[in-house]
Amino acid sequence: MQQYFSQMLGVPVLDATGEEIGKVNDLGIATGEVFPRVTSLAFKGPGAEPFMISWRKYVDSLDDDGLHLKVPAGEIRFSYLQPEEVLIARDLLNHQIVDTRGLKVVRVNDLKLSQSGTNQIRLLGAEVGARGILRSLSVHLEKAVLKIARLFHHEIPEKIIAWSYMDLLDKQLKDVQLSVSHKTLEQMHPADIADIIEKLDPRLRSQVFAQLDVARAADAMAELDEDQAAEIMHDMDANEASRMLSEMNPDDAAELVSELDYEKAETLLRMMGVKEERAIRQLLGYKEDTAGRIMTSEFLALNPEKTVADAIVAVKQAERDEAEMTNYLYLVDDEKKLKGVLSLRQLLVNKDSDKLSSIMEKELITCNPDTDQEDVAENISKYNLLALPVVQEDGKLVGIVTVDDALDVLEEEHEEDLQLAGAHASGDNDRRDGPSELQWILTNQLWFFFWAIGAFLLGLLAICFHLPSGTFLSIIALPVALLMGDAMINSVTNFYIEHDSDDEDKPSLVGFALKGLSGAFIFMLLMVLIVLGLSGLVTGSSILSTALPFIDCGFLTAAIVSLLLYACAPLYLRVLYIRDENGKDTSRTTMRIITFLLAVALFIVLACVLCQIPALLGFMG
Amino acid sequence: MVLAAMGPGLVAALAGTDAGGIATYSNAGSLFGLQQLWTCPVMCFFLIVAQETAARMGCVTGKGLAGLIREQFGVRLSVVAMLAVLVSNSFVTLSEFAGIASGMELFGVPAYISVPIAGIVVWLLTISGSYKRIEKVLLAIACIFVTYIIAGFLVQPNWGQAAFFTIVPHIEPTPVYLSLLVANIGTTIAPWMLFLQQANVVEKNVGPEEVPYQRIDTATGAIIASAISWFILLATGSTLYQHNVGEVHEAAQAALALAPVAGNAASALFGLGLVGASLLAACVLPGITSSAICEAFGWESGANTSLKEAPAYHFIISAIVIFSIILVLIPGIDLFAVMMVAQVVNGVLLPVLMIYMVRIASNKRVMGKYKNSMFWTGITWFAIVAIIILTIIMFVLQAMGYGG
Repeated sequence: MQQYFSQMLGVPVLDATGEEIGKVNDLGIATGEVFPRVTSLAFKGPGAEPFMISWRKYVDSLDDDGLHLKVPAGEIRFSYLQPEEVLIARDLLNHQIVDTRGLKVVRVNDLKLSQSGTNQIRLLGAEVGARGILRSLSVHLEKAVLKIARLFHHEIPEKIIAWSYMDLLDKQLKDVQLSVSHKTLEQMHPADIADIIEKLDPRLRSQVFAQLDVARAADAMAELDEDQAAEIMHDMDANEASRMLSEMNPDDAAELVSELDYEKAETLLRMMGVKEERAIRQLLGYKEDTAGRIMTSEFLALNPEKTVADAIVAVKQAERDEAEMTNYLYLVDDEKKLKGVLSLRQLLVNKDSDKLSSIMEKELITCNPDTDQEDVAENISKYNLLALPVVQEDGKLVGIVTVDDALDVLEEEHEEDLQLAGAHASGDNDRRDGPSELQWILTNQLWFFFWAIGAFLLGLLAICFHLPSGTFLSIIALPVALLMGDAMINSVTNFYIEHDSDDEDKPSLVGFALKGLSGAFIFMLLMVLIVLGLSGLVTGSSILSTALPFIDCGFLTAAIVSLLLYACAPLYLRVLYIRDENGKDTSRTTMRIITFLLAVALFIVLACVLCQIPALLGFMG
Repeated sequence: MVLAAMGPGLVAALAGTDAGGIATYSNAGSLFGLQQLWTCPVMCFFLIVAQETAARMGCVTGKGLAGLIREQFGVRLSVVAMLAVLVSNSFVTLSEFAGIASGMELFGVPAYISVPIAGIVVWLLTISGSYKRIEKVLLAIACIFVTYIIAGFLVQPNWGQAAFFTIVPHIEPTPVYLSLLVANIGTTIAPWMLFLQQANVVEKNVGPEEVPYQRIDTATGAIIASAISWFILLATGSTLYQHNVGEVHEAAQAALALAPVAGNAASALFGLGLVGASLLAACVLPGITSSAICEAFGWESGANTSLKEAPAYHFIISAIVIFSIILVLIPGIDLFAVMMVAQVVNGVLLPVLMIYMVRIASNKRVMGKYKNSMFWTGITWFAIVAIIILTIIMFVLQAMGYGG
């Protein structure tokens, strides 16, 4: 039989004579089990304070009437909470816990219990889903909502977290001895710990950190977002912080130290061991975003004159010391000059007596400490390396950049690139080629020339057809339409680059079109509203007030043209895919020129028409 | 620089001088002259009591108010509390949009243009969490209301009378007077300010050892906020009341009180201040409300979450903003009346949340040695009971149609 704690709360407690002596207030559980047994019962009598008694000794059975005790009220002896016990209402219900399997911070809405035999109850887990909330409000409400959901063929599942996957966050409960099988934060991967920590309140963050051992905390710290890591570091005791820094890989530590303010950084560095301090200071000496900054000085280096057997011993030793191991062995001479590289596999396939110099790889790919970190990362990915040695001008090996750091760099650069693309919608040029200024303007600011062309054409039309003189003013708004067209082309090409035509999980064309169109719509709506709002501000001045309707009209036209262009987006995409299938290449510039021509044509025609409508102009004024 | 050094208490108190506050004080001054001046010192005292309690709870527990309510009172009572928060904060957000609309009307921008723009801006700023960046700018704009202090001097009020009414309480048993009083309470000690205060303290991770500094910060904020409201009452009571403006229906009337300082620019100054203050509060409110509700029910929240990670958070914010926009855009609605009604709702719901707060703050298991003193608890209960009685009398009088 299963039931919920919310339903047990307030159940009458009856003694052996059947007399009610109180109501269930809380349950104590033995924490050392996978499904903890209920070991004590707290009930509230007439007084304010609840009483606690042993479950095993006094509880006889639980049925619909209530909780029956074995003895009459007079014979009950009260007990105290044992150190390994947790009270589920006081300590679990309504509190935040970490779901160590789902890697989330959640709140306990109810607890699921299971009755085995007549009087044994075990805790199955904590309910953290919506059903727990509904049930606590009212069991009928839960049933009603479930029924309604079922009408729509939607099941609302229970979300139960087993005791063994809970990590309690409350400070006082940290002292409770949890069971051996308990999966706590301690056993999780540092990256997962970092994910959880990022979701916690600042206070809890420090608490969770305090509960980890130094090595684990250091690993998690390295995985955290730098700003947050620096913040936690700042709140930490200096002693603790410096120990954690020593524990981290020098490159991660250096990165973190560079985020701290000068004073704090100096204090911490001085408190560290001399060796670690030197390693970090050395790294900090290199410029930001260079190989020197991200390299680690922990690597395995041997003399080329040694044998394979010696090397294997050295590898085993390094593993015991928990150095940041890569699968490479570096061979350096007495002056620490890099001579060659060996992979662990080469050690395994060669004879123990072979000299390292005879089997080592002499064709080396290296970089020096000032190399841009992006180039380092590119080289690592290009040559499929696990680490790249960093060599000074004089040939000395000073460190290695490992593949994980290189991945971080690539990710960072990618983010930066994305930001760039967002800031300048037309930023697909290759800056390093350094074309002449005029060419740069031509390829990137094409819209400007089309604006000029548009202005010329509109002026011509206005003169030829004797349009109202204000019509020409609407040209002010043409750049909006042109830039929106540019943005549309960018979104189309991005979509095309990201998804192949035969991609299975490619988002539908309709979805793509709607997304772009709705975005453009909001943007344009905002623009028109702002323009109308601003022109509302202008009153009095007679020159402006006659011109304004035409300008407003221009912006309205630009908005309509932009929307029309966005509506064409799927068409562009379709053409791109068809050309792709036929093996033809499409240049972005061509697409842009076509779009701009279309935009100018649409704009001029629409502007001429709209500026003829007196009612519209009147409204704008 | 001064703005950067301001503590959470000061920010919370200044943010409280929002659209609703201006509307309420202007109305009080316009309808009753200097007769409500006595509320300022009293409100200041209660504001300190309430804000200090919130800040202290944040310092000691490191948890938000909503989380504490949930942990101490369970699901059912949390639902009640969160409903109160949702209703009162939605109404305040509504009043902020009304403030933006009526402020922009002073510049000739009609509501159907300014409100959708403001709505989109507020929504974007809240969802992306980037309002923090412009917070300081908006706060600076909101400081325009400091000009009321200058206006207060320039109108050459009857200082003797002002002092008299500040010290001697005066109560008129009419629904108008009482509802203004409840609105006054609701706008000065708004429930959302308690949540904002505690959230700010938690965000800064201030420990219990810094409680004394928090007290100083809170008291300064409360005193400044009350001083501003005192001068608003003084300025409006000496100008609008004298001119027999009656109930204030639009921003242009309220702006008259600033005329002694700014002359013809009074309405521009007033409008700018009103829009800045309203925008600031409108950006804060939906986020605070949504975080509080998510915190109570254990849903993910925060500005750096995606829609997929935290659907409830995004939904609540959007719902509040849309609700406000739609109501403000009802044609022919009296914007100042909207602002006032929101404050009355606030005042009525305030005791509900204060009961939760005082219960938690005097719980030794939660607060340890920082729990409420008997005196502090007594004061809070007194305030709660007083507000409830006032509210009941107000409703009874209104039901009897007496004097209304």
